[in-house]
Amino acid sequence: MLLQLTHISKSFGGITALTDVNFGVEQGQIVGLIGPNGAGKTTIFNMITAIFPPTSGEITFDGQTLVGLAPYKITDRGIARTFQNIRLFGHMSALENVKVGLHVRTGKGFWAALLRTPSQKREEQLVGQKARELLAFVGLTDIADVRADTLAYGQQRRLEIARALATEPHLLLLDEPAAGMIESETVDLMALIRKIRDNGTTVLLVEHDMHLVMNLCDKVVCINFGKQIAEGTPEEVQNHPDVIEAYLGSEEEDEAC
Amino acid sequence: MDLLNSYNLQVLTFIVLNLILAISIYVTLSTGQLSLGHAGFMAMGAYGTAILTEQAGLPLFLAVIIAALGTGAISLLIGLPTLRLNGLYLAIATLGFGEVVRVIFLNLEITNGALGITGLHSIGSRVYDILKGFGIKSSTLGMNVLEVKALATLVVLLLLFLAVLFFILRLNRSRVGRAFSAIKADETAAMAMGINITYYKMLAFVIGSVLAGMCGGLFAHITTAITPDDFNYHRVVEILSFAVIGGSEVVIGPLFGATLLTALPEVLRVLSEYKMMFYGGLMVLVMAFRPHGLITAETFARFKRKKKQATGTLDDTNAREGM
Repeated sequence: MLLQLTHISKSFGGITALTDVNFGVEQGQIVGLIGPNGAGKTTIFNMITAIFPPTSGEITFDGQTLVGLAPYKITDRGIARTFQNIRLFGHMSALENVKVGLHVRTGKGFWAALLRTPSQKREEQLVGQKARELLAFVGLTDIADVRADTLAYGQQRRLEIARALATEPHLLLLDEPAAGMIESETVDLMALIRKIRDNGTTVLLVEHDMHLVMNLCDKVVCINFGKQIAEGTPEEVQNHPDVIEAYLGSEEEDEAC
Repeated sequence: MDLLNSYNLQVLTFIVLNLILAISIYVTLSTGQLSLGHAGFMAMGAYGTAILTEQAGLPLFLAVIIAALGTGAISLLIGLPTLRLNGLYLAIATLGFGEVVRVIFLNLEITNGALGITGLHSIGSRVYDILKGFGIKSSTLGMNVLEVKALATLVVLLLLFLAVLFFILRLNRSRVGRAFSAIKADETAAMAMGINITYYKMLAFVIGSVLAGMCGGLFAHITTAITPDDFNYHRVVEILSFAVIGGSEVVIGPLFGATLLTALPEVLRVLSEYKMMFYGGLMVLVMAFRPHGLITAETFARFKRKKKQATGTLDDTNAREGM
């Protein structure tokens, strides 16, 4: 397993957000994390990327624990993410956003920048070149110099993916990548995610678009009210009675209404 | 050479000194940290340099460098606990720190308490001595001694400012500069990019402090007399207002603010007692109509677009942006 969550629980004050979540992501898979709003999907992402620690349980990546690491170290280990509510560096150009993503794979610091050493210049050149390649990869070559916050919504989502890929991740976490996209954009996005996986990056995604999840994912995990209710192939999860109940409501509830 | 009289030269010198201070606040703000400790760091630089030249007899420029680096070292200690704070909390903590520094200097024997240290060597005299060593005298330049000294001070300050600006612009266009800017825009996203936030915040804080310390040392040896009151709360507000009025998104912003706010009181001398009214009115207007400062990143972008439009090479993207 590339990523393994074992007995993960999380509570905020007295409120329990997640109880005993267990699932793994295998190298080369595309895994979908689904569940109604507020089920705790983004909370899982935030714990994997160490924005906050789990209350209990263990998260391992490549066999090593991630719990207790600083967030920037998680990126260094090879996990990158995008955000549900797009968090680009708005005042920077698209190209510069991707350049920031290359931060962790480059190393020239303060003195090298002041003295503009030959190796620093070489590195900057490489950074520029790689950033352009990544923009081309997600199909944003045309808007390289446009301010990120003036881009169209779909472009911003793709730019965030390019920025995350710049950190050269082994595992890419996508938080609702298709949210707000129109049909044709979603189709392009699915092709892009497949391309990312084929390049050797494992993908874990949170998504509400069931068409995308069912067509794209090798494995789906469903969370409801902080509990893991199903795990398996898209078909298995789709037909799981608890999942159907979570999404459509139970008969008793219907009567109560 | 009427324009180069010592009064005008002195005003220009203070403008240039404030330009360096403006860069110092800009660097700290470039990671989104509102630090109000700059007057405190300036005081440490000023007293440090004064004591090193007067008591230890060190050469002036060496003393400035040592005092500035010392200020940086102390800012590292101050930064460790305070940089965990955000926004207003950091502002209050650093403001408190500045006051502590001032009160310490007010009560120390070596700093001569409220009377301060007077009779310091001026930068102008030092440079003039060096010039004399080369056989250049005021008469050779056709100016009186005071003018030559004032001009020498200005030239030294200008060279220092240009050097600082040069390095800051280099820093801005590097991996470090991108990290600063990313942290300012969104700390969580910057963290997710693998940026060590604490390190870069500390780096910006220390660079700002070293520059403020250097300005303090220069200030002491321009005015040749310093008292703790030179580095009180008013000084903090003055430095901060460079960035507030000028804008802190691009380095030109605080530089413009510093020039404007230093030159304005001199230019407005004709208004005599109405001067402060005008000054206050300007502040209110800027805050009301340009809350991000007079010069922002957008100012540049628009200027570039206009230039493009004028040359007729407007592409699709820019057209969309322009809408």
